[in-house]
Amino acid sequence: MRASPLRDGPPRGGSQPDGPSADDPARTDAVLVDLIARIARRDEAALRTLYDRTAPKLLGVVLRIQSDRGLAEDVLQDVFLRIWQKAATYSPAAGRPLAWLCTIARNRAIDGVRRRSETQGPVTEDGEDWVERLADPHDSEGAILGRNALQACLGRLEALHRDCIVLAYCEGQSREDLALRYDRPVSTIKTWLHRGLATLRGCLDGAP
Amino acid sequence: MTPDPEERDLRLAEYVLGTLPLPERAAVDLELAVDPAARAARDAWERRLAPLALGAPEVVPGPEVWPAIARRLAADGPRPASPIDVHPGGDLGPAANDDRIGALQGALRRWRLTAGTAAALAAGLALFIAVGGPRPGTGPGEGDGRYVAVVSRGGEAPALLVSIDTRAGTARVRPVGAQAPAGHSLELWYVGAGAAPKTLGLVGTDARVLDKALALPAEAGALAGGTFAVSVEPAGGSPTGQPTGPVVYSGPLIRE
Repeated sequence: MRASPLRDGPPRGGSQPDGPSADDPARTDAVLVDLIARIARRDEAALRTLYDRTAPKLLGVVLRIQSDRGLAEDVLQDVFLRIWQKAATYSPAAGRPLAWLCTIARNRAIDGVRRRSETQGPVTEDGEDWVERLADPHDSEGAILGRNALQACLGRLEALHRDCIVLAYCEGQSREDLALRYDRPVSTIKTWLHRGLATLRGCLDGAP
Repeated sequence: MTPDPEERDLRLAEYVLGTLPLPERAAVDLELAVDPAARAARDAWERRLAPLALGAPEVVPGPEVWPAIARRLAADGPRPASPIDVHPGGDLGPAANDDRIGALQGALRRWRLTAGTAAALAAGLALFIAVGGPRPGTGPGEGDGRYVAVVSRGGEAPALLVSIDTRAGTARVRPVGAQAPAGHSLELWYVGAGAAPKTLGLVGTDARVLDKALALPAEAGALAGGTFAVSVEPAGGSPTGQPTGPVVYSGPLIRE
């Protein structure tokens, strides 16, 4: 269920069916930026186009945090209504458009699970699995700048620190969830997170 | 807020991760609403970690999801052009930039027109005008040292009108639609750029104490970038001296 119906099958060695230009991150960004600008002007057709282009990725982001498919699709509705409301606040200077959309999706998903005070369900992935996904050549966003640097820097963290960061970010695990998972006090989890984040920042910001 | 910059950056990192406890998350929401440096630090963390989100496997939504979104869009409808629509606050949008201040000023002008023509609204806004200074167009020099903040929830009707007189050192609060949840108080905060929020006191919702003068923090004289926000607190106000509950309203200051 976590695998993409569109992307199952053998890796395609990086070539994409849409032709060379469709995989050009700068071009993809420009298209998304334009769609967001049109949405800010209340262009509903642009929202539909954005939905067609990004909903599978955003649902994937939500599903890692909210694993119930029905609830996740409810969150996805909220995500697109939020995009509709907030499009005017997007500035390309603040970050890449797909990252902005993913942030909205993550925040809505995390809000949802926190509001219901859900403890996260059985964890299906180790932090390391999500880190490995970064290297998946199968992913059309494989050219994301900084991906390799993040992977390298995560690899330098202590495994527990790294796993806490990745599970929090990818699966929406709270400090309490992580404390249960690792059978440590919440204060220890906080310390791990802070040490890991500080090391990560130093590594990434020092990287060329 | 802790002044330690390292502590603050890690708090923002945890905000991005999603691991902050809710009260701390609310406090960071306020910080982000008013402090460009905090937003820059948050954005930096978003950028550092974004590849992890982008690595999520794609899952095609069911065919009923888009129609549901379209129905909800239609139900919301295109909002009638109301003045506050030009205030793209979102839940807690970015703090004021010049464009938004300009837009807000336009909104206020239209508002006053509305107040002048609609008796019901005029009743609600009369005090705002009276406190905010002489009626518009009464000449140069009007409003020196006076600021107003329209404190609203993004896209909804304004909830509070805050007018500031830096010469007199007072803030006046005019609740329009603000309602505290039962057993809670609404607390008004002033946040200067880069500074920790300072309480201005509780927002009265009783008609008899509507027009409440609050002492301003001394540095509020330098109001550039100042923002007002309202949080939901335990009855009687925040026990910690910092916002602990959700920030329900926020608004920038504009020169009257």
